[in-house]
Amino acid sequence: MSVAATDSKTSYLLDKLQSLSGVIPIGAFLAEHFWSNSYALVSVGKYNDVSRELQQIPWRIFVETCVLFIPILFHGLYGIYIWWTGKSNAIGHPWMANWLYVLQRWTGIIAFVFIGWHLYTERFLGHGVTSYADVQRSLLNPWYLTFYIVGITCASFHLGNGLWNFACKWGIAVSVPAQRAAGWFGAAVAVAFTFIGVAIVLALHYGAFPMGSYVQ
Amino acid sequence: MADKTFIVKIKRQQRPDEAVRWEEYELRYRPHMNVIICLRDIAEKPFTRSGSESTPVSYEANCLEEICGACAMIVNGKPRQACTALVDDLEKPIRLEPLTKFPLIRDLQVDRSSMFENLKRTKCWIPIDGTYDLGPGPRMSPETQEVGYALSQCITCGNCLEICPKVNEHSNFVGAAIVSQVRLFNMHPTGAMHAGPRLEALMGPGGIEDCDNAQNCVKVCPKGIPLTESLAAVNGQVLVHAVKSFFRGS
Repeated sequence: MSVAATDSKTSYLLDKLQSLSGVIPIGAFLAEHFWSNSYALVSVGKYNDVSRELQQIPWRIFVETCVLFIPILFHGLYGIYIWWTGKSNAIGHPWMANWLYVLQRWTGIIAFVFIGWHLYTERFLGHGVTSYADVQRSLLNPWYLTFYIVGITCASFHLGNGLWNFACKWGIAVSVPAQRAAGWFGAAVAVAFTFIGVAIVLALHYGAFPMGSYVQ
Repeated sequence: MADKTFIVKIKRQQRPDEAVRWEEYELRYRPHMNVIICLRDIAEKPFTRSGSESTPVSYEANCLEEICGACAMIVNGKPRQACTALVDDLEKPIRLEPLTKFPLIRDLQVDRSSMFENLKRTKCWIPIDGTYDLGPGPRMSPETQEVGYALSQCITCGNCLEICPKVNEHSNFVGAAIVSQVRLFNMHPTGAMHAGPRLEALMGPGGIEDCDNAQNCVKVCPKGIPLTESLAAVNGQVLVHAVKSFFRGS
């Protein structure tokens, strides 16, 4: 353990980019993704309108590549490297933050695998065109539904806890009370995202429209 | 009446390349004993519990009042100072192991010179010598003194490195103690004149970015130093320095 004699700032830059990419664009996209998909709680027509709108944005392939594919690949692959440079010890030292560190490692791996599979089945297999019926068909499979719920929970936790880490690692929350407040904020994000994400897949699975009364 | 006794188990190695062996000692209990007294008792009569002759256990200790940092070891699974590990408070049998994040010398003795090397690399001192009298330095506010005093209590024991999941053979992380010292010296009005080189050092491999916020360090610090605050504060300083020196030039 020593600070290297080299002047290389590459690892600093990569680590900072890894941390930033989790919030912007990935975290921001997750919020947008859950927002758009929440139309599944309203009606089939609304859901299909919003999907079509998103599937027909200009510069689509460039936007997808620069805002989604590259950041997610970078965050995930560099994240696996960071995972490899750590060695959990929460069994012998079961403090709260130590468990959060362990969970952050594993939820990241699970979410990365889930997102890869989710992109493959929903984005690439259908060549970028999906509808309510397509998504519902896959979610009728109980294994798919389970994987979705696990993936959504892991991604939501990873984002919420990641926001807490972000606040500490970017020197935003320095004092213990500020770090605690950031922790509660992250917990609230994790719970809210999990709730909304699971509500969406359950609504699709059961073909339910709990917010259908909004349609005139 | 037979004396009250208790058992101490010690992880021993003559040399780093020798196989590990655990030895058990049965010691006579006296009130208010600490782990150092146990090791001295063994040195007086180095016979294991089964009666076979052994050697005194190698360990480091100095002040015996938790201000030097020398006697850090793993007591019942937790890194701590042996001098303040009181036999009355410890679960028996007492298990003693050397710190694992530093090169082993012998038995409970490890080589922690890497921490000193890292303090040097991060320029954790305040230059006050010149070829002429530099005069009195700027004054420090009582508020800054108060925060600085807490940080200045670091005894470089290495407990924060021992407990850190990011200090291992795959990572060169310098650890919370060094980062906290950078904060201390950057906080001092004269020390702040050399804040740049300290922050630069923490930007390299093994620097501040390796902290992944498991926050174990603060739980094992014998001096109660707010290490998680130091890590976040220095993270902010390094970031500001990096942005400034990129856009404005250093």
